[in-house]
Amino acid sequence: MFESASRGEVADTVPAEKGRSELYELDPSDIVLKTKSLTLGFGGSTVLDGVSLEFPRGSITSLIGPSGSGKTTFLRSLNRMNDGIRGYRRQGEVLLDSASIWDSAVNLLQLRRRVGMLFQRANPFPMSIRENVLVGVKAHGLAKRNDFDEITETLLKEVGLWKAVSDRLNGSPFSLSGGQQQLLCLARALAVRPEVLLLDEPTSALDPFSIELVENLIAKLAPKVTFVVVTHNLAQARRLSHATAFFFQGRLAEYGPTNKIFTAPSQLDTQRYVSGSIG
Amino acid sequence: MSELPNNPSSPQSQSDADRLNFETLSKLVEVQGIKSNTTRGFKARIAWSLSYLTLLLVITPAVLIVGHVVLQALPHFQFSVLTSNTTGLGGGLKNEIAGTLVIVLGVLVIAGGLGILSGIYLSNYAKNKFGNFLRSSSEVLAGIPSIVFGYVGYIALVVHFHWGFSLGAGLITLSLMVVPYVSKTTEVALRQVPSGYSEGGEALGLSEGYILRRITLKSALPGVVTGIIVAVAIATGETAPLLYTAGYSQNLPKLAVTHSPLGYLTYAVWTFYNQPSKAAVQLSYDAAFLLIVGVVLLIVISRIVVSASQKHSENR
Repeated sequence: MFESASRGEVADTVPAEKGRSELYELDPSDIVLKTKSLTLGFGGSTVLDGVSLEFPRGSITSLIGPSGSGKTTFLRSLNRMNDGIRGYRRQGEVLLDSASIWDSAVNLLQLRRRVGMLFQRANPFPMSIRENVLVGVKAHGLAKRNDFDEITETLLKEVGLWKAVSDRLNGSPFSLSGGQQQLLCLARALAVRPEVLLLDEPTSALDPFSIELVENLIAKLAPKVTFVVVTHNLAQARRLSHATAFFFQGRLAEYGPTNKIFTAPSQLDTQRYVSGSIG
Repeated sequence: MSELPNNPSSPQSQSDADRLNFETLSKLVEVQGIKSNTTRGFKARIAWSLSYLTLLLVITPAVLIVGHVVLQALPHFQFSVLTSNTTGLGGGLKNEIAGTLVIVLGVLVIAGGLGILSGIYLSNYAKNKFGNFLRSSSEVLAGIPSIVFGYVGYIALVVHFHWGFSLGAGLITLSLMVVPYVSKTTEVALRQVPSGYSEGGEALGLSEGYILRRITLKSALPGVVTGIIVAVAIATGETAPLLYTAGYSQNLPKLAVTHSPLGYLTYAVWTFYNQPSKAAVQLSYDAAFLLIVGVVLLIVISRIVVSASQKHSENR
């Protein structure tokens, strides 16, 4: 059901080091998520102006740029997490499989099942480790009670937590380390079988070892799931992503294959940012 | 610096000067430190003494009252008090015990339900000026003297609606009186739930109700329960509003909304203590003793419930 075996094989063929983006072919015409001149703001101020981006299915895209450049606002708009914020306004479109996410026919809960999110700070729920993994499955009615044990095991194995927690599935998630908590949150997000996962600085609170675990996992999952990653870690963007978008002063300054953005950017601002002169 | 002889940029003379400065400085700091430590120690002792003194001021009356009641009630306590109704100025307290239990349950349901729901509304939705207006109204409600509640209940329910002295009038009056405590603590407890919980739930596509029931409310439960305990304890201990609305009866409570006067323990405490007969005064102490036992039981049960629900809490 969760195709862990096939994902596992992919993981084994993907070396943990660099150059992941070269290892499998993306179909540039198969666009899962797309923004069309998206302009976002709160109250009177415009945070982001006219962003058009395409995310090919199975790709990993990094969003980089200084704080306040609008990356996170952009990311949170992709599954309508900003809708409830007071004064939020938007123009333009976000298309998921060519359909607007703001269409009145769209079920918000279904949209968020398809486009999940992982946060900067691991936020497991105050329930057992097992319940954390299963909560989305239960709420969306995705599986039968009989399968819950198997699903828990599959997902925890998938994120590499099974050995660490198999003897305390009913224990508190807060007994886990920060890195393990983030992996648990990833398992929880994967449990509802999302097509796109939005990651908001997912490793900025983690130690280097945990960062590697999470990055390897993202690389391993990527053919099945499309990732959009906000990161301040330039090396991470470089290691991890197929494409990189550089946000600067409320605009999408430059977008292209990660290699090109880091080695031969066309904009001076991009060049200065990725080389460390600003930022 | 002598252990780094290969470093040409730090001549011996300069490092000597540095060390000298550092030694002077550390002496100064040491002297100052000793001085301030003594004053600090003195201030700390005063603060500690004041803290203990105030603690004593709070605890002493509680210990004296509980001790007095227990000492007066326990030596002469007879279990027939639990099994027989009051007759005249004697007999037992069965009708009052049953009445108090019915009132506690009713307040639990009415004030608990209303309070939790309005607390949820105030914390999650009432974010504008209207919300502030509701909040202040609730605080005003909490500040109204209980006798006023009793009188309003009497005029409106007992007299105007012709309910007579009744369980319904008593419950409504008491519940309205304690609702602000439940709603305030629920609101505060919900606000203290980390925003990551609801955000994580939203990102997973969980519905608002699901997030509330399974995650945030569960996390806020200790605060909610504290509010309910306070509310129920106040309701159990009140006499004035009940005298006006529930009246009194020496029979077991009738489970009808109107025309159903009933007895309650605080009535026994208040009425029988002023009677000349020794049996009546004894009954008054028994009632007070039972009230104390009831409140302690309530606190113990709530602690157990809370601790069971917080097994996976972040704060453990």
